[in-house]
Amino acid sequence: METIKLFSILMLGLLVFISCEKDDPEIPNEEELITTVTYTLTPTSGGSAVQLVYKDLDGDGGSAPVITTGILQMGTTYSGTLELLNETETPAGNLTEEIEEEGDEHQFFFSSTTNITVAYNDGDANGKPVGLETLLTTGDAGMGKLKIVLRHQPDKNASGVSEGNISNAGGETDIEIEFDVTIQ
Amino acid sequence: MLPFSKKFPLFVVILALPLFSNGQPCTFSISGQVTDKSTGAVLPFATVYLEDTGKGAISDSAGFFRIENLCQGIYRVSVSHIGCETKKESLELNGNVTTNFVLNHFTEFLNEVVVHGKNSDNTTQISSAISKGEIQKKSNENLADILENIQGVSALRNGAGISKPVVHGLFGNRVSIINNGITQSGQQWGNDHAPEIDPFIADHLAVVKGTSALMYSGSSLGGVVLADMKNIGSGDWLTGNFNYILQSNGWGNTLNTQLEKGGKSLSWRLTGTLKARGDTKAPDYFLTNTGKKEADFALQLEKKWTKKWNTQFYYSLFNTEIGILRGSHIGNVTDLEEALYRDEPFFTKDNFSYNINAPSQKVIHHLLKVKIKFQPTENTFVDFVYGGQLNNRREFDVRRSGRSDIPALSLEQTSHFLQGYLFSQITQNSTIKTGVQGNYTDNTNNPETGILPLIPDYRSYQASAFFIFQNTTGKLFYELGGRYDFERLNVYAISHTLPREIERHYHSFYDFSFSAGAKYPVSQSLTTNINVGYTTRSPEINELYSYGLHQGVSGIEEGDPDLTPEKSVKLVFTADWNIRKNMFVQALGYFQQIDNFIYLQPQQELRLTIRGAFPVFIYEQANSRIYGTDWLFSYEPFHGMKFTAKYASVRGWNREQNIPLVNIPSDNLLGTVTWFPGNFQKFQKNEISFTGKYVFSPLLMVIFFCRRQLPQTWS
Repeated sequence: METIKLFSILMLGLLVFISCEKDDPEIPNEEELITTVTYTLTPTSGGSAVQLVYKDLDGDGGSAPVITTGILQMGTTYSGTLELLNETETPAGNLTEEIEEEGDEHQFFFSSTTNITVAYNDGDANGKPVGLETLLTTGDAGMGKLKIVLRHQPDKNASGVSEGNISNAGGETDIEIEFDVTIQ
Repeated sequence: MLPFSKKFPLFVVILALPLFSNGQPCTFSISGQVTDKSTGAVLPFATVYLEDTGKGAISDSAGFFRIENLCQGIYRVSVSHIGCETKKESLELNGNVTTNFVLNHFTEFLNEVVVHGKNSDNTTQISSAISKGEIQKKSNENLADILENIQGVSALRNGAGISKPVVHGLFGNRVSIINNGITQSGQQWGNDHAPEIDPFIADHLAVVKGTSALMYSGSSLGGVVLADMKNIGSGDWLTGNFNYILQSNGWGNTLNTQLEKGGKSLSWRLTGTLKARGDTKAPDYFLTNTGKKEADFALQLEKKWTKKWNTQFYYSLFNTEIGILRGSHIGNVTDLEEALYRDEPFFTKDNFSYNINAPSQKVIHHLLKVKIKFQPTENTFVDFVYGGQLNNRREFDVRRSGRSDIPALSLEQTSHFLQGYLFSQITQNSTIKTGVQGNYTDNTNNPETGILPLIPDYRSYQASAFFIFQNTTGKLFYELGGRYDFERLNVYAISHTLPREIERHYHSFYDFSFSAGAKYPVSQSLTTNINVGYTTRSPEINELYSYGLHQGVSGIEEGDPDLTPEKSVKLVFTADWNIRKNMFVQALGYFQQIDNFIYLQPQQELRLTIRGAFPVFIYEQANSRIYGTDWLFSYEPFHGMKFTAKYASVRGWNREQNIPLVNIPSDNLLGTVTWFPGNFQKFQKNEISFTGKYVFSPLLMVIFFCRRQLPQTWS
């Protein structure tokens, strides 16, 4: 009987134990998250800059991203600069620097379905392109998509990768976004 | 997928070290009879083995044995019989000794023991258990890989080091794993989360279906896997064994040891395992970053205070680090597609290495058990069990700026389990088993990850009770049982919308299970067994509250807090047929109807994120059906040679949408040829075996289903 009594006390103790609430979880600081990509295009011959912005504030899943597109002039060369932000933090975290520091482990790839060509205008510690700074040249008028991909740990020595061909690059995709662009 | 799995360890070296020596005149003998404790029946073909000399005997058809030409001294005797707990005793020999041994049946096998074969231990076959010897030989493998040798069990693999058992087509939350009597409490929901158990610590592994499964907490909808320890023998001598296994693929090394000492005061057993394996190799290239390291330890202490009271203390530590193929780590669906179509994975290196880098998993699991047993009479005992577990799982991804050292998933789970259990043999022919259980689980995400967690923090409280009645009337054995579980689940989630807030959700679930089974020997060579059971299973945390990107499956997973419990009715029929003395067939058929079956439904849309598009999976419910058969055929054409073939086939059907269920294992055939060349002087119990496995192409199943309706996605 003693053991039954002991067991009842244990069970009662458990009941008391379970009635207390757990502490609220701590919301993690998502410092690595990229919420906003801005591609700023400034005509090399002078003139006002065009900004392409891709913004997804709540991260993976959740509500749809907000995309701002722009109109480019035909037959123009633009100097392009990419900026990556984490706007869940205040002030917004700048992830461009992170990519710059680890330039040899990152590369942006650009492709377009319209008359746009993008050339690299920067280099990492080994002289291979990163793609944070680019030269974008437009041809004839047209409409189409401009796709920007950021690969982490690509094989920069694989054939065609330094020229901007993604097919042999490998690595993981950190960014893959598309803008509707109009050339007129 | 390769049709054959090639997993032969190159060498298996097993050294049994006798740790004491004995005296002079060698003319004595030990003889006696072996009987079954519960039925009193004599046990033919039981093995009586003197561990220190290697001498032994097999009992005859009346259960008698005799070992001769023994020297004076103290011997450690081990008596084993298939389906029974091995009994170890020390015997002092100063003349001829006559002694009888009474063996206990494994309680879960009271109604499902299959004895096959004639005159040696090697030729017997249990339908659903794996013995210590088998475990020892395969102890370089994972738990699930060893369990695969039981027909009806498959392994769900995620790369070279991770596997989960699949029982009759069901796995994860639907298959409970009982580690030394305590339901394993970890992150069982993840398909890439292997059970945290070193198989080497187990005395036997078994899959329990039917009424006996009701006594274990956790879900038995799919089946219950037992990793059971045995009691420490009574002889107060130090014995043990050391094993070393070298695996050629990946140059895997496994070193394990088990030492034990019985005795009147305090008995103890120590078990330790060390494993290290490097990158495994496909025919043409290395699978970079698929190595594995593991270090496990267990200590068991037993103390018999009086004839009626005894206590057991058990602690085990499981600690592993598993590398995940670098080339399989991907960012989005484009990467996935690219990875699938490549001849050779990205990041494949030309050299072999033992290094493990991100992506990887580090898992630590502690288990503490205290059991107090009170046995007032020969036929009745009560035990009180406390089980405490601490599970820490960290998963590492390839991340930017040195963050690869910070886990991308970091979960800590604490659980406490209490049980009061009564076993009573109320009459010569009937037994009751009943008990109450309490279970508390606390699950916390560590915020160090810097990533929103996939499953939220929660606390779960569970109270359960069960009752099982077993009876033998003439040749018929039958059992009836029921179980009730109440669960309270408190969830502390982070909101999906901005700004992030804490949301609390509360659920209460009530689960009922009933089961009835019968076993009837139609003739001396044919035994049939039937079991029917009703079980419910409450939805688990991942099914209710998953939200976000599940890196392991490269998809966005969303739970549904409105899911209702699954309700299952399962019918199992088994026939064991000893066609001849040296030929045996076991056939098993099952049919399981599951209402509200919870599964991940892929959605039409792809969800756009800054990392590209991801497929979306949502937990949904549908009335489903699972059915299949398992076959075992075993033949011993002449003494010293044995063939075994096992075949398993399972089908899953979504009755509402009229399409097959996903994640159902393919049909498979496992064949083994074993040759026992006999003893060469000091080398005893020698055997050479070849095993091949053939997994049938899912195409065959497509043809099968074509007659019904081919789903559109396959067109």
